[in-house]
Amino acid sequence: MPYLPTSQAYLEQSAQLLQAYPDTTRIVTKYSFPTNRRGNIIRAHKSQVRKDAAKTTDAPSTTPAQPPTAIATLTLKTFNPTTGICLHYRTNKAQEVSRLITSLGKLAAGADVAGLGLSAAVPAGGADVEMVDAPAPVEVTPAAGKAQGQSAKGKKKGGKGKR
Amino acid sequence: MAPHLGHDEFFKSLAELLSKTSQETHGSVNLTQKPLIDVPGATTTNSQPSILIRATDGNTNTPNLKNASKETQISMKKSQKIKLSTIVNPDEIEAFYVRYAEVCKAGMSGLKKRDRRGRKAKTKGGAAKVTKA
Repeated sequence: MPYLPTSQAYLEQSAQLLQAYPDTTRIVTKYSFPTNRRGNIIRAHKSQVRKDAAKTTDAPSTTPAQPPTAIATLTLKTFNPTTGICLHYRTNKAQEVSRLITSLGKLAAGADVAGLGLSAAVPAGGADVEMVDAPAPVEVTPAAGKAQGQSAKGKKKGGKGKR
Repeated sequence: MAPHLGHDEFFKSLAELLSKTSQETHGSVNLTQKPLIDVPGATTTNSQPSILIRATDGNTNTPNLKNASKETQISMKKSQKIKLSTIVNPDEIEAFYVRYAEVCKAGMSGLKKRDRRGRKAKTKGGAAKVTKA
C-alpha cells in the first residue's frame, strides 16, 4: 500500500478513511531504529554506495562518509481491516513529531479534512474523493475576479473590437 | 492482559520506553490508537467513542529463541514484551494529545534534528570575511 509523499496528504486521506469507517480504522505510529539484520545492512550499504556514486558524479567527495549513528524513522500507518486500505507516511525529521501527533489527536476526535486546520493549497492528487473540494476554488474566483474586473473587461472589449 | 493504566502512569512508562529505545539506538516502539466500541467501561458521549491507546516495544530484546526450549521461550516472551495501554475519554482527547505530543517529541530523540549546520557555517564564513576586510 502507498507511502504518501507529504504528511498533509497522509492526514487528509486518513481523515477521509476515518470518516468512512470510524469504527474499524486504526492508526499505528511506529518509532524504530534500523535493525541489524543481515539483509537490512546489505540493503543500506547498497543504497549508500549508490548515493555515493551519484554524489561523485555531481560533486566529487564533499562528504566522505555518513556518521555511523543510526537515524530512527517514524512511520505512521492508517489501516482499515475490513476494506484492506492502508495509508503510510514515513519521516525521520524530529521537527514533524509534535505536529503529527497533535494531528492524530484531531483525527481521533473525529475531525474531518477541514477540521485538521491544514492549508487548502494541495497539488491535485488526482484522487476521486478530492473532487468534492474542487468546486470551492471555483466559487472563490468570482470574488477575486471583482478586483481584476476592470482589466478583464478591458481585455474583453479589446477582443470584441478586433472581431 | 495487563489492566489499562491511568494517563499519568501511561505517560511515565511511555517516556521511559521511548528514551530507552533512543539510548540503545536499536529496536522500535509501536503506538496504536483505535476507537473503543461496545466495550464495558468505555464512556460514549454523543456518538464519539473513547480512544484506546496502546504502546508496545517491538520485542526486540529477546535472545535467540532457536536455542531455547519451548517453556523458556514462552516465559521470555511474556516477561520481555512491554505492553502499555490506556483509555482516553472523548472529552479528554485534546488534553491527552497535547501531553502525548510532548512525550513523543521528548522521547523520539533518535530522529534527525533540524539541520542548522549549513546556515551557521555560512554566517561564520561571512563573519570571518568581515573581520579580514
